[in-house]
Amino acid sequence: MTPAPTPHIDPAKTHLLKEYKHDSPLLGCRFDPSGQFVFAGAQDNNVIRWHLDSGKKTLLTGHKSWVRALAFAQRRGEEKKGKEGEKRTSQSSSPCLLFSADYAGRILAWPSSAEGPKPAHTLEAHHGWVRALAVSPNGSRLASCGNDHLVKLWSVPDGGLIHELAGHACHVYNVVFHPDGKHLISADLQGIVKVWDLAKGAIERELDAKILYKYDPSFRADIGGVRSMALSADGTLLACAGITNVSNAFAGVGNPLIVLFDYQSGKQKQLLRPKTPFQGTAWGVVLHPTGFIAGVGGGNGGMLWFWKADNAQDFFSLKLPTNARDLDLHPNGRHLAIAFFDGAVRIYSLEK
Amino acid sequence: MLPSRAFLSLRFAVTLLAVSPAVVLADAPLHQRIDQAIAAARPDFAHQAAAPASDAEFLRRIYLDLTGTIPTAAETRAFLKDPSPGKRQALLDRLLTSPEHARYFAMVLDVLLMERRRDKYVPHEQWLEYLRSSVAANKPWDQLVREILSSDGADPKTRVAAKFYLERQAEPHLLTRDISRLFLGTNLQCCQCHDHPRIDDYKQAHYYGLFAFLNRSSLVIDKKLNLAVLSEKADGEVTFQSVFDPAKKTQSTGPRLPEGPPLKEPVIEKGKEYIVASTAGGRAVPRFSRHALLGPTLARADNESFKRNIANRLWALMMGRGLVHPLDLDHSANPPSHPELLKLLADDIAARKFDMRGFLRELALSQTYQRSSELPPQFRGDKEGMEPEPTSYTVALLKPLTPEQLAWGLMQATGLTDAERQALGPNASEAALYSRLAPNVAPFVKTFGSPPGQAPEFDARLDQALFLANGPVVRGWLTPRPGNLIDRLGKLTNTDALVEELYLSVLTRWPSAEERKEAADFLAARPKDRPTALQDMAWALLASAEFRFNH
Amino acid sequence: MWCSYACGSSEHNISRRGFFATALGGTLGALALDPLTRPAFTHELNKQQKRVLMIWLHGGVSQLETWDPKPGTKTGGPFQAIPTSVPGIHVCELLPYTAQRMHHLALVRGLNTAEDDHGKGYYLMHTGRRQEPAMKWPHLGSVCAKLLGSSDNPLPGYILITPRGNGGVNSEDAAFLGPRYASVALSDGHAPANLDRPAALTEAADQQRHEFRIHANQRFLRSRRTAQTEAYTHSYDQAAQLMRKRDLFDISKEPPTVIDRYGRHDFGRHCLMARRLLEGGATFVKVMHTNYDTHHENFDFHIEQLGEFDRPFATLLDDLHDRGLLASTLVLVLSEFGRTPNINRNYGRDHWSRAWSIALAGCGIRGGSVSGKTNADGTAVTEGQVNGGHLFHTYLSALGFNSKKNFYIEQRPIPIADPKAAPIKEVLA
Repeated sequence: MTPAPTPHIDPAKTHLLKEYKHDSPLLGCRFDPSGQFVFAGAQDNNVIRWHLDSGKKTLLTGHKSWVRALAFAQRRGEEKKGKEGEKRTSQSSSPCLLFSADYAGRILAWPSSAEGPKPAHTLEAHHGWVRALAVSPNGSRLASCGNDHLVKLWSVPDGGLIHELAGHACHVYNVVFHPDGKHLISADLQGIVKVWDLAKGAIERELDAKILYKYDPSFRADIGGVRSMALSADGTLLACAGITNVSNAFAGVGNPLIVLFDYQSGKQKQLLRPKTPFQGTAWGVVLHPTGFIAGVGGGNGGMLWFWKADNAQDFFSLKLPTNARDLDLHPNGRHLAIAFFDGAVRIYSLEK
Repeated sequence: MLPSRAFLSLRFAVTLLAVSPAVVLADAPLHQRIDQAIAAARPDFAHQAAAPASDAEFLRRIYLDLTGTIPTAAETRAFLKDPSPGKRQALLDRLLTSPEHARYFAMVLDVLLMERRRDKYVPHEQWLEYLRSSVAANKPWDQLVREILSSDGADPKTRVAAKFYLERQAEPHLLTRDISRLFLGTNLQCCQCHDHPRIDDYKQAHYYGLFAFLNRSSLVIDKKLNLAVLSEKADGEVTFQSVFDPAKKTQSTGPRLPEGPPLKEPVIEKGKEYIVASTAGGRAVPRFSRHALLGPTLARADNESFKRNIANRLWALMMGRGLVHPLDLDHSANPPSHPELLKLLADDIAARKFDMRGFLRELALSQTYQRSSELPPQFRGDKEGMEPEPTSYTVALLKPLTPEQLAWGLMQATGLTDAERQALGPNASEAALYSRLAPNVAPFVKTFGSPPGQAPEFDARLDQALFLANGPVVRGWLTPRPGNLIDRLGKLTNTDALVEELYLSVLTRWPSAEERKEAADFLAARPKDRPTALQDMAWALLASAEFRFNH
Repeated sequence: MWCSYACGSSEHNISRRGFFATALGGTLGALALDPLTRPAFTHELNKQQKRVLMIWLHGGVSQLETWDPKPGTKTGGPFQAIPTSVPGIHVCELLPYTAQRMHHLALVRGLNTAEDDHGKGYYLMHTGRRQEPAMKWPHLGSVCAKLLGSSDNPLPGYILITPRGNGGVNSEDAAFLGPRYASVALSDGHAPANLDRPAALTEAADQQRHEFRIHANQRFLRSRRTAQTEAYTHSYDQAAQLMRKRDLFDISKEPPTVIDRYGRHDFGRHCLMARRLLEGGATFVKVMHTNYDTHHENFDFHIEQLGEFDRPFATLLDDLHDRGLLASTLVLVLSEFGRTPNINRNYGRDHWSRAWSIALAGCGIRGGSVSGKTNADGTAVTEGQVNGGHLFHTYLSALGFNSKKNFYIEQRPIPIADPKAAPIKEVLA
């Protein structure tokens, strides 16, 4: 269950708590459901696990390409964590599996807390990149999405393919389960967000985040996509992060944007932008149980922003040491993990 | 009518020929001495030489050469009907002082000096106006060159003249090459690395002597003026090695012209080298400027190369080929076709203080200029290869129209010019007409012009033919419009009068009997689409070789 | 000190002998004939009908995502290397179709062009020379138009198919060879300008007006005939011939299945047009694919751009091969430069010319060969280092020319290729 919002949380007092270093740029990061570890995926094809208290670093070696997607499943847990900032809600001591996916289309499953982790199994999941993974609230199913335009559903216990959801017309960038357990949400390069009815295996409706996409006619290429996606714990708000206003795709000239949807109506509720202009992409977004939204960006440096859902402009921001590439919220609701280009995962405290 | 016109022309020709080469005196007018030199160069001159140009040939030629376009049908009629023996001289005197000549000759100088480089620093219109007003005032060539080579672009009064440097980015090697080519008639480019391997006269030291005037200067964006200007350092000696020299001996030179004496340079007290010292946002101005000395040193009457170059270039412009050819390879192993004539011309233009207008007038008065371009009968037909070589100047050379001449000539021939003049009414000044019509020239320059930075070169390509045959530009000009050619032709019910108007308008001459008949047959075959038949016939003459060349 | 060695002196070891004749002597202006020219040689070449296809990957394609992958290294990026039809040669996984044609291809992996600026790199890779202030060099396309082209051929000698921009003649490309050999751009694959007879003009009327023009010419030229007037009247004949070849520029004449094989996107259509033109007698066709200047999101963009490149290119190779044209068509896959081994903070790669690769195929090329080598992380050439000059020599050699020969411009012998470089023997058949 979600811990009660603590009165000590004050985003405006956010400060650096700890730093864990790797020697290769990082792409993604996640806390495990127990809150003991932070995991990161790196450009040297490794997954790195740090024990938060001791700082002990363990390499999970087995991927053949870059790793950005990380998700956890507990065999008997009730509610588990998807990739992009979806709220995890349970503290369980039961054995936990880490799923990590790479840009060669492969998913590896690891015992997340084992001393010397070895892949428990391997899924040849997609043709091309897998950018995101999510685990269903009851921990039974794993969702993945890929550059092959597909979303796939897998059985957590045996790694079997349950469903292949076809419908996207371009690379699928993100996937999350709705807490109702009946819907899956996927989003693609062109900013098209699809809500899937899992019982029927069919698209129920579409949400429009095309503001996060552009075809750059001078470079003749697509730019954008839903780089991070998160739901509020109650499933009423959906956030999609990326880049907008792109004037030069190949130099990355554009501005970060988080599109906040009212999930029920499917309407855009707010377009969250930095108050101080910033050039780059919003690479991570989480919705805090107390109601604020945190996002990180990378481009011309790195930034961390905090918004309230009723205001387009951030109420607080923090300059980061370098480009941020992913963001996660600790199960305790008090800490953020940010993965950085310089190989570090930094833990920030939201407490006064 | 026709026989009497022919008779008049013939009589005029006889008058011209009466000036025998043998009787020309040393103080005779230049045009007579030119003819004497051309005639004296060949023992068989009388046999070789073409007949004098007809009035029609002369009229079209002198209009194109001095104003860059062809005369109106009315002007042509009047000239051809004019019986006065002095009409050619009167015409060329009128043309030389006309605003059309100043406008046209500014374009000629622009292409010569800028070689169609893109306009980045000095607007083209300003530059053309500078040249136009210079020609209108008959500014001497040496003065014009000094202005161009002396301006550093910082003084608003003289900035426009700095275009020569600025559009070449003030790059000293590029400038050394172009100054040697365009003002001295010697392409020293090969001498950058060593003495010219094939031209004994061109030395590496010549190259670097000229280079030393330029290498201290560079283009900077002056923050205060917010303009690109020249900045000059007070130091920077020029050294060079020949790549052929196994010992790699380093030589050095100060600024000097090829074959000229070394320049005396003042000794400047240390610490006082600059009037304005170099800063991050501005230009430097040295107390002693090598750059400032280039114009006065180079553009002088006692600079043999300088005066030969301009005499040869103006000759080529009028006669279709330089006495020295190519124009920028004046050296002892590539002698002029008529060495003494070139010397005569060079001395003459210097003696008349580089008065280009007076010089052009003498060229145009010569029989050499006024000869027909038709081969004498004995060389025609299957006797190809027997005809006199172009260097003999015994037959007038065909000159392909420049892109500008083609554009303006077509505008006149199709009557666009007439229609615009008519539309302007009493406000039809040369300037007003020019500003209306000038934008039409760009597609011709794009299609027929040489690439930026290259000397003009004739080339006939199929894309040009397609442009003329199928393109919208000429086709648009052949659409009837009050006062234009097709409009005028459409109103003429008498076929013979129509054909006369067509030939006078497009080819600046009367049609022959054969042509009258052919045109009449063409129209008779298309009674149902006479308006388009007129367009097609007019197009055929516009696309003919006779129109494409100045003959 | 700069030196173009544009002097032909023996001290530079440059032969003074020219090796081609001008096809249209009178119209070539500055191009004088060398006394030792052998016209027969040119004639022989025309008979063999050699031609060139250049694929230009605009903006600077990454060598690491194409011809010289370094998977599993710090600089290698996320992609895998895949085996090809030639054992031992691997290329990036983004080129699965091309990989299966590796037996036709030769890779030059030791390229160090030391020119990281787009404009200068473009110039270098098109001319085989560095930019010099007072000397402009002709593009390879212009050189080939000159050396391989025939005066009977109404097709432009150097055709450039661009995704957009202005069509028309780019007269600067030919430098001293003259605008006749300049590139003619077909913007978005449209036929050259003014190729269609105006709608209001019937074929019969067109014929009649040309007859009238020809009669007028005959009268005028009875007493005045020069090489220039000949060239001018001939240009209309060539225009008419090109108008008759109008269909070559129209890929809708191809069956839909063929259009599908090439792909229904610009590059696919342009490759198909290139095949039609080469088949129809074009001498040099350059197809431009844009854009690869991936300072940001190098990997996403290479997936997209190479995904578009790979199949049409492979299809084009197949079609040329199936038609028996590949052996006489030199194929080049070029770019201004490569991209940095270093991956920047925006997942981008920047401009890089110190160690990069190109691919060649077809005429005179040894298929399945590789020249040059880079170190483990691709940051330096370790074997077989070459520059743009070597490439130019290699192209000319592959086409059967002695690349050490000269052009003659107004008495000046000008080496066709940089005398300081030589052909890359390893990739030549």
